Amino acid sequence: MGVTGSVLELCNLTRRVGDGTPARAIIDNFSYSFGSARLYSIIGPSGAGKSSLLRLLNRLDECTDGSVKFKGRDTREFAPCELRQRVGYLFQTPHLFDRTVRDNIVYAQPHLSESKISCLIQQVQLPSGIVDAPVDNLSVGERQRVALARLLATQPEVALLDEPTAALDPANTEAIERLISSVVTDHGVTVVMVSHSRQQVVRLGGEAILMVDGKLIEHGDAVQLVKNPGTPQGRRYMNGEPQ
Amino acid sequence: MTTPGITQVLLAGIMVVIAIAVARYWRLPVIKDMAFGSVRGFVQLVAVGYAVRFIFDIESPWLIMLALGIMMTVGAHAAAGRVKNVKGSFGISLAAILTGSLITLATMLVFKIISFDARYIIPLAGMIIGNSMNASALVIDRLASDLRGNRLAIETALALGKSWREASQQFHRDAARTGMVAMLNFLKTVGIVALPGAMTGMILAGADPVEAVLLQVIVVYMLLSATTITSVVAVELTIRRFFTRYHQLRTNL
Ligand SMILES: Nc1ncnc2c1ncn2[C@@H]1O[C@H](COP(=O)(O)OP(=O)(O)OP(=O)(O)O)[C@@H](O)[C@H]1O
Ligand SMILES: [Mg+2]
Repeated sequence: MGVTGSVLELCNLTRRVGDGTPARAIIDNFSYSFGSARLYSIIGPSGAGKSSLLRLLNRLDECTDGSVKFKGRDTREFAPCELRQRVGYLFQTPHLFDRTVRDNIVYAQPHLSESKISCLIQQVQLPSGIVDAPVDNLSVGERQRVALARLLATQPEVALLDEPTAALDPANTEAIERLISSVVTDHGVTVVMVSHSRQQVVRLGGEAILMVDGKLIEHGDAVQLVKNPGTPQGRRYMNGEPQ
Repeated sequence: MTTPGITQVLLAGIMVVIAIAVARYWRLPVIKDMAFGSVRGFVQLVAVGYAVRFIFDIESPWLIMLALGIMMTVGAHAAAGRVKNVKGSFGISLAAILTGSLITLATMLVFKIISFDARYIIPLAGMIIGNSMNASALVIDRLASDLRGNRLAIETALALGKSWREASQQFHRDAARTGMVAMLNFLKTVGIVALPGAMTGMILAGADPVEAVLLQVIVVYMLLSATTITSVVAVELTIRRFFTRYHQLRTNL
């Protein structure tokens, strides 16, 4: 085992894209350790590499340098399919397969019981009658929640959530935030969430990580980092100024 | 009808002149292509006629193999030319056409449906390769554009722990079907709307229509086999270029 309590350990993680010199580093020498059953918010300007970072953690993309360890083992030692079931990922713009809500929820878990399905539907605050509705009739916010239920159905140990409330209204946002908190505290899941809302980061608490241009700029207690950033880039970001 | 000679061919050129006149009147931007294409088609066909006659005269199995090799290479090249933005499409097409054609021809030889005789092999291989070439080009093109256009759907499945094969299953099936659809449609109308080429040719050459039909049935079955195998091989080879061995969809293709 690696560091006690560390679930994901990023060591000099780097991803360069584009051929030709110089290849651009969209994730640049990123080192960080995510602890077990905790909540992390990743913040940073658009194009900072937040989504790209998440994609490296479940190996949807390959890093060009450095490593990610999951529970002390290099993620490259896991079968990718197994890793991705244990380190789940919710896309920034989720895709639902072209069938019913139920089909989506059982997509990766074909033997899910009826009671578990209802429970998931309830957890993400969808009306129970929706389960047999075809997904193309759903609103953007409902789609987001179906995708979240589908992810929770796989019972991941880590959930990577890319702006899960971006398309939701305040009431639904609050409900999903409560769900995220309960997933962390009651189910012991480590949540790594990208957020573009400073207020949300403060509401959720936990740790915050600020990244700019693929680099880790600063990290620490979420409330502290938002209210009182310790770096010039942090102050600029929190004041809404360009980097 | 007399067997056509050079006089009849030149007279048939009148039809090209009519077509060009029509195109010109309607200002269709195809006049150059028509004129050039007619001459080019004439030269190619005459050249092939002499080449095939030469192969028939020599009766060497090596020469037949060489001819098949050239036909397949040219077919693969033409198929690759019709596919945009897929690296290695020539290699994929060549392998797909080769597999589809050889398995089909070998089956016909093993079961003595035809004998190893240039008179059978060359024209049948021509039909097989022509159809396989179309199938291969359609399959590669369709699959590549589906995989590029459905990146989010595929990565969603991958992110939920599905393998690359499961994540892209729907797209291989669609692509393989695309390669076979021309053949399947042909089967629906054959004999009713379309009188197929081999049969028409034999009838024009004076053969008994029933004999001609029997040959045509063999040709249809043969093409069904060849296009199916070609399509599946083209799918299998194309799909692998789009995924890494770690079940990641390549984005830099
Ligand atoms: N495969 C790729 N090839 C080239 N550039 C890429 C690739 N993937 C991401 N990028 C670039 O990397 C940068 C970071 O992208 P990313 O999507 O991670 O940003 P982000 O922080 O999630 O932004 P947003 O808040 O807008 O979602 C962007 O400039 C993007 O264009
Ligand atoms: Mg993003």
